[in-house]
Amino acid sequence: MARRGLALILLVGLLLALLPWLRDAFPFPTFYLAFMATLFFWVAQSTSWNLLSGFSGYFSFGQGAFFGVGAYTTAVLTSRHGWDFFASLPVAGIIAVLVALAIGAVAFRLRSLRGEIFALLTLAVPFIIAPLVRVIPQIDGGQGVRVPVPRDYTELAGGFPEFIFLASLAIAVFAVGVAYVAQHSRFGWALFAIRDGENVAEGLGVPTFRYKIGAISLTGFIAGLAGSVFAVNVGFLSPESVFNLTVPLFVIVMSVLGGRNHWLGPALGALVMVTMRERLAAGGLEGYSLIIMGLVLSALVLLAPEGLLARLRIRPRLSAAVFAAVLLALAAYGAWGAPLDWLAAGMAAAALAAFLPVPPRVLLREQARLTADDIVPDDAGGATGPAIATDELIPVVAPRAARELGEVVIECVDVTRSFGGVRALQGVSLSIREGELLGLVGPNGSGKTTLVNLIAGTFPPTGGEIRLAGVNTRGLPAHRIAHLGVARTYQIPRPFESMTVRDNVAVAIMFGREPRSLPGARSAAQAHLELVGLDHLAAARPAEINLHERQLLEMARALATKPRVLLLDEALAGLNPAEIENAVGVVRRIHGSGVTIVLVEHILRVVNQLASRVIVLNQGLCLAEGEPQAVMHDPAVISAYLGKHADA
Amino acid sequence: MSLLHLQVALSGALAGGLFALMAMGLSLTWGMLRVINLAHFAMILLGAYLSYELVATLRVDPLLTVIVTVPLMFVIGAAVQWLFQASRISEFNSLLVSFGIMIVAIQLVTNQWTADFRQLPAELNPYPRQSVALGGLALPTHHLIGFGVATAVALVGYFALDRTFVGRALRAFAQDREIAAAFGIDHGRLAMLLSGVAGATAALAGMLWSVGHALTPSAAFEWIGIVFAVVIIGGIGNVVGTLVAGALVVALYSLVSLIWSPSVAPLVVFSLIVVTLIVRPQGLFGRRGS
Repeated sequence: MARRGLALILLVGLLLALLPWLRDAFPFPTFYLAFMATLFFWVAQSTSWNLLSGFSGYFSFGQGAFFGVGAYTTAVLTSRHGWDFFASLPVAGIIAVLVALAIGAVAFRLRSLRGEIFALLTLAVPFIIAPLVRVIPQIDGGQGVRVPVPRDYTELAGGFPEFIFLASLAIAVFAVGVAYVAQHSRFGWALFAIRDGENVAEGLGVPTFRYKIGAISLTGFIAGLAGSVFAVNVGFLSPESVFNLTVPLFVIVMSVLGGRNHWLGPALGALVMVTMRERLAAGGLEGYSLIIMGLVLSALVLLAPEGLLARLRIRPRLSAAVFAAVLLALAAYGAWGAPLDWLAAGMAAAALAAFLPVPPRVLLREQARLTADDIVPDDAGGATGPAIATDELIPVVAPRAARELGEVVIECVDVTRSFGGVRALQGVSLSIREGELLGLVGPNGSGKTTLVNLIAGTFPPTGGEIRLAGVNTRGLPAHRIAHLGVARTYQIPRPFESMTVRDNVAVAIMFGREPRSLPGARSAAQAHLELVGLDHLAAARPAEINLHERQLLEMARALATKPRVLLLDEALAGLNPAEIENAVGVVRRIHGSGVTIVLVEHILRVVNQLASRVIVLNQGLCLAEGEPQAVMHDPAVISAYLGKHADA
Repeated sequence: MSLLHLQVALSGALAGGLFALMAMGLSLTWGMLRVINLAHFAMILLGAYLSYELVATLRVDPLLTVIVTVPLMFVIGAAVQWLFQASRISEFNSLLVSFGIMIVAIQLVTNQWTADFRQLPAELNPYPRQSVALGGLALPTHHLIGFGVATAVALVGYFALDRTFVGRALRAFAQDREIAAAFGIDHGRLAMLLSGVAGATAALAGMLWSVGHALTPSAAFEWIGIVFAVVIIGGIGNVVGTLVAGALVVALYSLVSLIWSPSVAPLVVFSLIVVTLIVRPQGLFGRRGS
């Protein structure tokens, strides 16, 4: 499936590459080649931007930095050092990658980094590079740089416009191909998971830092390549011409317009915006093109943030009909504008038609159809994989008799944790053996959730030591701890909202302890959904299911990482009695499949029913430990729960 | 440290008052209302051009133009907040929408006044050529005025937020929207009021910019870097911290430009933001956890 799509992209690229040679048979003005070269430049730029900012959600205003560094690299190498253009091209990409790495290494290391701060940091980058470029005489020195025309190659291609056309096309095809492969591979799914919930993704075993660095590097590389061709195309560079806000503005508008969740979205947005902009400029309205860009951006974010491509997929026939009708009507009338004007008008009309409000009934039907489309290829892929869920209950891990306990899997030694002046944990020591179902109870603020966060590696302990199967976890990132066999659920479920229930689980499998490819993970997800009883909702979105189902999804997703220990953080909070009964059954089944469970819970009845051992925390200390019945009758426990005088 | 260094640092610190004034409105709406309003830069620019236009046509003192521009920008600032509220926008999307508004406004200014440099008529604008002598140091009058206005706004802002009902209600809202709403605070009006006040400070900043500088539309882009540095270093939502940060950042900028080169000054300021974010994400003067 993935290969076929890539082949199609290459085929379209090759067909377009034939255009310059078709001019002998069907003469058309050179202007069209230049127009398409501009289009390909923006396709490459916006698709490159989208790899980082669309897929991972880290919005960058710094596209001009990568693009400008690439352009200056080729300009300086070819004009001052006599390099060949094609030798300078990869160097331009690599230098842009270095800039990207510098930004990523600083920004993605900040613990407090939020998307807004990242956006503002990248906003500043081009304005820092520009003055440096301006004063360094070896680069620019304030005079600008003239870029020589690579004569050998332009002759080979049949002329300068043809050469630029082909070079821009090649880079655009490369960019779209990379985006396509990303969306159909682990790389893209890691980025989607980061966008939907970075901490959750890290906790499921996604090495988020590495993937973010990968994404920003690819963005930089493609932007640098496109910048290199841009330099040759314009022939003269000044810092103001590249390190500005025009490039970031355009790529953001194009990607937001086309749609940021899809590999093709930015290219579609580029097609619409470049055509409109060209027509405005031809009509002498260049001063209005930025105004229209700004208005389009603001209106889209407010009204249709999902973008044009998503809307077109819901209303393909209506949009196509409107496009064809407007185009043909204008062509038949013939007295207004040039063919490109008709095309622009047709696209504008089709886009407006696509953005018309969709009745909820149609929306639901179409979404169901699109989700079904997504699943078909996976079932095909699953057929070659191992057969799934033939039995009622396939144990995820080899079962083990309930009372027969194995080695110590988690050991906490004098663990403390402070937040500012608040000491949430003041020295907790405990050990958990393989196969146990441990209840962790305690009043509000006793440190239960803090302990879960420390074991899962969400943040490090202030003091003490946590060992997982003998490995000290101090300093390990959360994804490494997940790979050691710890999974957790969140008290308030945090599913990946943009993915279906099945894909939520599939992502966890892809990055878990026994990773699989996307098609394999999708079919394997079924077994986990069956274990928690969610298989009938596999195609639903998290927003469409209720709290209980979201909590079950949390469990299925955590199980999908193949953990040795599952930390359930108040997984039954806020449920009605019937739902609690169901959840208790699910926890039993999970435990029966051989997973060690730490059950953090308020509902003591549930803990009594399930746990083989109970630990009571109070004010950051272990208050009691033992068999559930014995612990519940401990006077110290009663007074901690009910106040000092309750036992008097 | 020579007298020259002292002179440059002091002028820089005073000039920083204007950047602090630009940053205050942004910092307040970000901290209190959770919107990042890039349109603020467009309002400063528009304020500057309106002051220029009023001085050029009515032949009045530039300081008097705020009588017109401040109320106007108050209304525009409140209107932008109304748009954000009506669309229930997220913090991040407010950045995108206001980026669009900023681009539109800057292009409108360019279409109206062209990209050429515009300067207030010298005979009506004596301030850039005046200075106050202070023991061998010369303090430019327009920087003193700017710093004075910024200080006044910071103090009024601080006391208004700390002592008045409106200020306390806004701070309550910044901490927990739902609880504050449960106590019956009408956030919508307060937010529009605050955003309007932020717009009014943009008008003041625009007037002061037009007094000291030649106008060109791309100036708005050049402010962004320094102003956000001031906002982050001063602590988001902290007006007094913003004032101090403005003085520090621009003094540093001027000193680096003098000692090293103007072209590395942005790099130094940028590094300062990164260091601040690493060491004190709440800003140099913010309280931990706020």
